[in-house]
Formats: sequence, C-alpha cells, structure tokens
Amino acid sequence: MASVRTQKEIRQRAPIWLVALLVTNLVIMAVDARDADGKHKMLRIWTQAFASPIQSASSKASGATTGFFQQIWNFRSTAQQNEQLKERLTQVEQELNTARQATTENERLKALLNLNETLDIRSVPARVIARDPSVWFNTITINRGSSSGVEPNMPVVTGGGIVGRVITVSPWASQVMLITDEKAGAGAVVGQLGQSGALGSVKGRADLGVALIEMRYVSGLEKVEVGDSVMTTGQDGIYPPGLNVGRVVDVKNGTATQAHQILIQPGAQLDHLEEVAVLLYHPPPRSVPEQTPQNAERPRR
Amino acid sequence: MSQVKIAVVLLLSILLQLSLREVWQPLSYVDFPLVVVVYIALQRDAWQALLVGTLAGLIIDAASGGLIGAGGFSKTLTAYVIYFAATKINLENPLLRIPVLAAGAVLDSVIYVFWHRLLGNPPAVPLMPTMSYKLIATTVVGTLALYMLDAVVSERVAQRRQFATRRRVARRSTGPLRRR
Repeated sequence: MASVRTQKEIRQRAPIWLVALLVTNLVIMAVDARDADGKHKMLRIWTQAFASPIQSASSKASGATTGFFQQIWNFRSTAQQNEQLKERLTQVEQELNTARQATTENERLKALLNLNETLDIRSVPARVIARDPSVWFNTITINRGSSSGVEPNMPVVTGGGIVGRVITVSPWASQVMLITDEKAGAGAVVGQLGQSGALGSVKGRADLGVALIEMRYVSGLEKVEVGDSVMTTGQDGIYPPGLNVGRVVDVKNGTATQAHQILIQPGAQLDHLEEVAVLLYHPPPRSVPEQTPQNAERPRR
Repeated sequence: MSQVKIAVVLLLSILLQLSLREVWQPLSYVDFPLVVVVYIALQRDAWQALLVGTLAGLIIDAASGGLIGAGGFSKTLTAYVIYFAATKINLENPLLRIPVLAAGAVLDSVIYVFWHRLLGNPPAVPLMPTMSYKLIATTVVGTLALYMLDAVVSERVAQRRQFATRRRVARRSTGPLRRR
C-alpha cells in the first residue's frame, strides 16, 4: 500500500518537478544568451576545463582505434596470402602511413611557421582535441587556453587561411567558432588589399555546411571572377589584415544597385583540421569620433 | 533501478557523445544521452528521468557551441512527455520502443532548435536534413542500446533471470534420483 502511495505521490509531483527544472534551464539559457562575448560563461569554462583532458585522450585514442580497425581490415583482406608476407606488408604499410603522417604534419607545421614569420604576430600552435558534441553547431575545441595567453575573440588560422575565432577560454582549452558559422563574420576583399575595391564581409550559411562561405555587400560595379583570392581587411576588429580567406568558386553578378552574390571555398580545410595556430592579436583601438560637430554651439554653464 | 548504475550509464553516454565525433563524423548524429533519458522515462521513473534529462542536456550544452540550457530544456521536456505516455499506454513491448525513440529524437531536436532561433542563435546546419539524420541514427543505434541497457540496468530483467535460475535449481533438486 505504501509503495502504491509513493507511486501516486510521484505522479502528482512530477509536473511540479518538470516546471521547476524547465524554469531553471530557461533562466540559464537567458543568462547565456545575454552574455554574447563569452567572458562570463562559468559553467561552460569549467565543463571545458574538466572535459578537455578526456577529449584530448579520446582524440589520441581515436587515431589508434582507427589504425587498429584498419589493421584488422587489412588482415582479413589478405588472409589467404602467405603469413610472413602479410606481416611484412602490414609493417611496411604502418611505416609508410607513419612516414606520410609525419610528412603531412611537417608540411602543416611548416606552413604555420611561415605564416608566423610573414605576419609578425605572436602565435600559439594548438591541436584540435574535439568537435562540437551536438550536431547543430560547428565549433571545435583546441588544447590551448588562458594559461597559454589565449583570449576570447582571438583569430585562429592554419597555413591555408583563417579558421575562426575563439569564443570561450578555459585554463587549458578553448572553443573556436568556425568561419562557416552564421554568427561568424570577417571583413574581406576580393583581390589584393589596397588594390581592389571589392570590399564586403564573409560569413557562413546553414545550407552551405563547412564546404563554402558567402561573401556579401560587394558592389555590383566591382569586377569579381571565379578563382579570385579573398583576403581579410582587418576592419572587423578580430582578424589582422592580409590573411587568406579562400578562393571565389561562384559569382552571380550584381548590378549598380544590387550586390554580387559570391561563394567562397575556405582556404583552410575546415573538415580535416588537426593543427591550428591562435594569433595573439589585439586589434588597434578604434578612434572614436567626437560626438559633437566642431561648429556646434556648446551649452553655456 | 540502482542509482549508481544510472549514473555510470549516463556518464558513459556523455563520454561517448563527447568523443565519438572525432572517431567518425556520422556518429555525432546518434544522441546517446537522449537514449538513456528515453530508457529511464520508459521505466516510469519520473524524478530520475527529469533529473537525468536536465543533467545530460546541460553538460552537452556546455561542451557545444549552442546555448547552455537549450539541451537541458529539450531533454527534460522529452523525458516528461515519454514518462507521461508510458503511464497512460503500455509501452513494455520492445517493438513499441522504436517509435517512442524516434518521436523522442524529433521532439528533442524541434525544441532545441526552437529555443535557439527564438533567442537569436540559429544553428549552423539546416534543420530538416540534420533532424532526419539524427532521427535515423538515434533510432537505429538507440534500439540496440535499449536492449543492452535492459540487460545491464533493468532490475526487472535481473529478477526474471534470478527466478529462472532458481526454478532450474529447484527442478534439478526434485529430479527422479532424488525422489527415490
């Protein structure tokens, strides 16, 4: 009888618990939505701080697991061949894969190093340790945080081009919003900075995924062609000028009153990111124009 | 249901969710914490289902680029809807779990995206294709996971197993040799 009453009580109280938990979630959501700059996201920062060692370990383990399954597959496909030959082949394949990986990594790191020298901006090399656990967003987590000097809104790049900007920083890890996100954006120019007037802004679009980004507000009078390179202008207050964004892959020409519709393939391989660099870049402070015009009459005291 | 077992299963599902995308990108469409939430809701344990829904949602939110609380809200509401349905309709049949899991995946996605759009933070991927992939992946993998959870967590299954063992032992002790 007692257990029946308990069940009945549970059934009666369930809506109250539901409302309480929903309201709690709603309050957290409202606070998080208000704090757009991400400096006070304590819950996010601490979850990241605890999750980053696990994500880092799983990132390493995933490479090993993939290799393991690859080996099993290789073993099955060559099962009828000579045992010694197969072992030798597997060894050679492993060595070759390791060498290839080392070469590719070497090239990527060289590109990052070159970028560092070209830009003359201090940078922190970082490894991608996780991707967004929900399917709805395109963020990545890197293994560098505030202890390495990383701050919110710092640009993240690879040798190929810009990747995105840091949105949340915990002591040992940071979350990066990719340039393909709808909320991400960068001031850009088609062609060389200072030579071209095709200025606009690039941002992601949900239906384009991570393969393409859109460039908006480029005057229809400017000449834009497929294959033109796109560079950052530095006017967004996040990315330094002169960084590669990508290459134009599609243009729908505008008119004198209508802007071009431009699609860009990002220079950085955003779906295969492994190593990136966080630029410890602080944009120059913007000069605030004086609010009152010079010829305006000032109130007399 | 043992609370320790639930805590371990929940932790495991969160770890899988955090790490499997690195192994193979399509695995991110499987919502492991949601499967655990649906399982507990189907056991008609309202308090645990709601609490697990909130906790799982909040932790995944904190590690993702979305709003913290949106996943907590959607999973808590999904847990309650499934719990409510389980108290009204008999969902003990394993086959009935498949549409419940599918409905849970759709409801969770719709509520999650609704809050993000309402608060000016739209998802970076299109709704319909992503929701469809999530529905298929979560239903297929979740159906298998529910069977595994039955074997590991469910006390009813454990009791049934104990009862079968006892009956087997009792039959052996009353065999023809003993009777003589």
